[in-house]
Amino acid sequence: MNAQQTSLRMEGISKAFAGIAALRGASLEARGGEATAVMGANGAGKSTLMNILGGVVASDRGRIVLDGAETVIRSPRQAAQQGVAFVHQELTMLPTLTVAENIFIDSLPSSGPFIRTREMARQSEALLARLGCSIPPETRVEQLSIGDQQLIEIARALRHKAKVIIFDEPTSSLTGPERQRLFNVIRGLKTDGVVIIYITHFLDEIFSICERVTVMRNGETVWSSPISEVDPAKVVHLMLGVAENEGRIRAPIEAVGEPLIAVTGLRRDGVLRDVDFEIRSGEIVGLWGLLGSGRTELLRALVGLDPIDGGTISWRDGRTLAPIAPERLHAHVGMITEDRRGEGVHLPLSISDNIALPNLKSLLNKWRLIDRGRQNALADAMIDRLKIKASGREQIVATLSGGNQQKVVFGKWLATSPRLFLLDEPTRGLDISAKTEIMRLVVELAEQGCSVLLVSSELQELMRVCDRYLIISRGRLIDELPGSAGASALMGSIAMIDNDLEVAS
Amino acid sequence: MTARGKTSDFPLQHGFFVVFAIIFIFFSLATQHFFQLDNILNIFSAMDPLAITASGLALVVMSGRLDISVGSTAFLSCAIGALLMNQGELNPVLAAIIVVCCGALLGAVNGFIVVVLKVNSLIATLSTMIAYRGMALALTDALLVQLPPPIRFLGNTRLGPIPLDIFVMLVVLVLVHLLQTKTAFGRQIMAMGNDIAVARKVGLPVDRIGFFSFVLAGALASVGGILTTIQNGAVSPFLGSGLEFTALAVVVVGGISLLGGRGAILFSIIPGAFIFEMIRDGLTNLGADPYSYRLIGGAVIFAAMYADALKSGRYSMRRRL
Amino acid sequence: MAVTQIAPAPLFAWPSRQRVVSAVLMIATLVAIGVYAPNFFRYHNIINVLLQVSLLGLLAIGMTVVMIVGGIDLSLPANTAMGAVLGALYMKATGDWAVGALIMIAAGLLIGLVNGFAVARLKMIPFVVTLATMTVVSGASVWVTNSLSISQLPDTFIDFFDARPLLGVPVTVLVVAVLAGLVAMLMRSSVAGRWAYAVGINDRAARVARIPIGRVILASYVFSGLMAGLTAILLTARLGSASANMGNDGVVLDIVSACVVGGVSIYGGSGRVPGALFGALLITILSNAMNLIGVSYYLSLIVKGAVIIAFVAIDGRKETKR
Repeated sequence: MNAQQTSLRMEGISKAFAGIAALRGASLEARGGEATAVMGANGAGKSTLMNILGGVVASDRGRIVLDGAETVIRSPRQAAQQGVAFVHQELTMLPTLTVAENIFIDSLPSSGPFIRTREMARQSEALLARLGCSIPPETRVEQLSIGDQQLIEIARALRHKAKVIIFDEPTSSLTGPERQRLFNVIRGLKTDGVVIIYITHFLDEIFSICERVTVMRNGETVWSSPISEVDPAKVVHLMLGVAENEGRIRAPIEAVGEPLIAVTGLRRDGVLRDVDFEIRSGEIVGLWGLLGSGRTELLRALVGLDPIDGGTISWRDGRTLAPIAPERLHAHVGMITEDRRGEGVHLPLSISDNIALPNLKSLLNKWRLIDRGRQNALADAMIDRLKIKASGREQIVATLSGGNQQKVVFGKWLATSPRLFLLDEPTRGLDISAKTEIMRLVVELAEQGCSVLLVSSELQELMRVCDRYLIISRGRLIDELPGSAGASALMGSIAMIDNDLEVAS
Repeated sequence: MTARGKTSDFPLQHGFFVVFAIIFIFFSLATQHFFQLDNILNIFSAMDPLAITASGLALVVMSGRLDISVGSTAFLSCAIGALLMNQGELNPVLAAIIVVCCGALLGAVNGFIVVVLKVNSLIATLSTMIAYRGMALALTDALLVQLPPPIRFLGNTRLGPIPLDIFVMLVVLVLVHLLQTKTAFGRQIMAMGNDIAVARKVGLPVDRIGFFSFVLAGALASVGGILTTIQNGAVSPFLGSGLEFTALAVVVVGGISLLGGRGAILFSIIPGAFIFEMIRDGLTNLGADPYSYRLIGGAVIFAAMYADALKSGRYSMRRRL
Repeated sequence: MAVTQIAPAPLFAWPSRQRVVSAVLMIATLVAIGVYAPNFFRYHNIINVLLQVSLLGLLAIGMTVVMIVGGIDLSLPANTAMGAVLGALYMKATGDWAVGALIMIAAGLLIGLVNGFAVARLKMIPFVVTLATMTVVSGASVWVTNSLSISQLPDTFIDFFDARPLLGVPVTVLVVAVLAGLVAMLMRSSVAGRWAYAVGINDRAARVARIPIGRVILASYVFSGLMAGLTAILLTARLGSASANMGNDGVVLDIVSACVVGGVSIYGGSGRVPGALFGALLITILSNAMNLIGVSYYLSLIVKGAVIIAFVAIDGRKETKR
């Protein structure tokens, strides 16, 4: 073992949350002067691994060896003392303070009662100069772009004499030039001998900036090698695993007839660009793209949960396809967002009250009051139809398992008989049997004539039900594939390295 | 984007001064006595207690919370001091020190309720606002407490042509301003007001900072109370009544956002307090009904708060982009 | 399913914790009264207490609805005073008590609308908005009345609401009882009531569930304005006069304490009308008892302040909103 060469090793790291294993003996090896990409699909365990390194969570087992010495990291503060800095996707900037204050906020240099402003500015300038950036230290951070703010965050890490810097999705809100500048900064840090750990969902980036790649799947480290030994398709394969043949629930159908919904030129500045697509009745369309590709944003924009800056949505009402405002479309659509507990259900309410919520107007009696009997009947019907496991309709939703909570969300919408379902990660955090149940339900909906636009991080899952795929990347639909497309075609479609495709900004 | 932001923000950024100038010119033209050095000095002198109290409240507001008990804190601590002087024949200087300590203690109670018991600061200080006032009224039997004769006329002291309390105000405000802009504590208050979760993540002791912001607000409120008491020569049962609101208004009108993290003491509090005292003075000079003052003052406040909400909305939008 | 766990009863302990504490407080107060001030239980005093409870309860109902949606309305008492003063002035001038009463209602609704608009549309902070309207409105009513009370109102107006048609129970108490029943039912079983809870519990989820959040918030303030207007009518009739002093600070404290003691959470989404009425009863009896025992009004303010802080502190949720 050459301690001078290897700066950071994590070995046999295990971690379970509430009995469910997030990491099973994962490992990571990274060297000073190199950038190591950590790749993995949602839930692969890379965030947990990084949070352990950053002191945000404690590991159950395993050891961290930094510069040849075993290190204990129990809090973010300790991590900083050990020289581990974490540049989060969500920056920890204090917008109304100056650049210098932001860099020094946790230990402002003082003489007597007063801050040594000039000294602080001088040191900030020096730190920023190392990053090749000349922002005046007395500028307020709120006046800076996100890209500049990120540099301030890196400068803060450098002030702590960071030996290891973790970048978590650093480019997700950067413009093209800002991205190039960040890469230059990272190259500079590498020549200074810093260990860079780079997490991203953009495959092209790791090939232009990283020397090594580590791939995680299901809480384990499945691959670790110099970047030259892999290509993008290989990385996608490693991330997603061999598509296990769970078998299709329904063979792909070729939907015919007029579209139910047609979207043209949908645009949200910086997020979505030139989105055109159509969905026909009874069709399950998979929206396939990596996290951060704009898939969630597209779903939210369709029903007005996020604003749009342009484009038309047309909806079939009777015979004609007429333009409709997103807020109006919301009334016809069953929307299941990725944040089940925050947006899907009202946790302190009962199953019955949750299911009734979007259906109240259909439960009124002649006094224009909600008829308890009809509400109960509706709730019982949904519990029965969706096989919700609960002690009864009055059980509080917060006490249900994730799968049953998700069924309650479906129950809410089913009763409104929507003609289109927008599903964002409907199986996130569910166990395998619950996943299958949800997927069967999706097919059942389609059989009854509903259209479905489905987002999932798990390719196998999409491949069990989808009749067609829309491929989304950096806020644009870049391709469309038939339901018969195989795993490699689908993986290849998002593994395309295309530097021209920038998010509109 | 910067250029566009600047032009569209102009009415918001400078609106205050436009309104200020219009009111000032109006009163100067409409009344004979308003625009005279003596009267202007009077306005400055009359606004001192308000400005000092508001500076303490401003620290809490900058930290992202509110303290509406400041008026009652001033009342209770001054009532204790005045009673000690009258009944215990306490030395006035010692009494003043005790008053400030009482203020700090009452602020510490607020801080404890908010930081340790984790009660929402509005509800906590709403309760203590009324409880402190009740305590003070119980102590004074809701009667006027006269100051002992030797210091009763201290309020008329002047340094040359300028009333002494103007200097007191300037010294206090400069000190608070330095605390807020130049010390680690002051900057950490601002950091906390930006986003308490981020401040905690960065490793700041937000509980301690929050607690001491309440202590300072209480102490400064009692200093404001002392000035009012000296100006009036007595502690009236209405001391500080409604002050919490006027002080809050001074803070907001001066440009310190209610959402925290923004503003500076000296350049916010002085113009903010001046505009309120100026309206009161101008209305009196106009011979307007004294009761109309609250209404007009309230309308100014509402407009200022709306501007603040609008401005903060824009800032947060810009931050997201 | 693999991880099906059928959880037992709902696990939310906090309402019951508050309920236990408030029940204990009620019993303790009654026992103290029984020992120290048995006069309390005389018929006249009880009717008097009921009247006070009704008027406080009416305002507490308004506050409850606003708090369920997740806001707060500090302008309620000032709003009541303003309506009372305007209506009384009109009555005194014209002798037309019906229109006078309508003016009281209209004033309440209008101020509620201003509050609601500022919170729902202008996105201002509820506490600050209503603190501002409280100051402006009470300033205005002091101005209008020159701080004097307006008496010599039409006899029919006073007689109408002061009548005791049923077993000697005053009209005011009956009106409030019926209204409370109605509102309780609407909050439980009307679309608007369900929406109110849904918005208060989680406005993001409410938005996804197609609930028009802005309208719900606006309506809650208009409703509390309505309650203030009604209180103005009943209180003016009971006192036989109207004055700006009807809406002093102490009343706000009473309303907020009635609500939090009655299990209405200041963080929104939970609480019921009967609970708030119970809170109003407890607070009134507490004030009454302290008065009878000889505790000064001022000291009773301290007790109420402490009660609010204690109840909010045991509300399981942490400080999340301002």
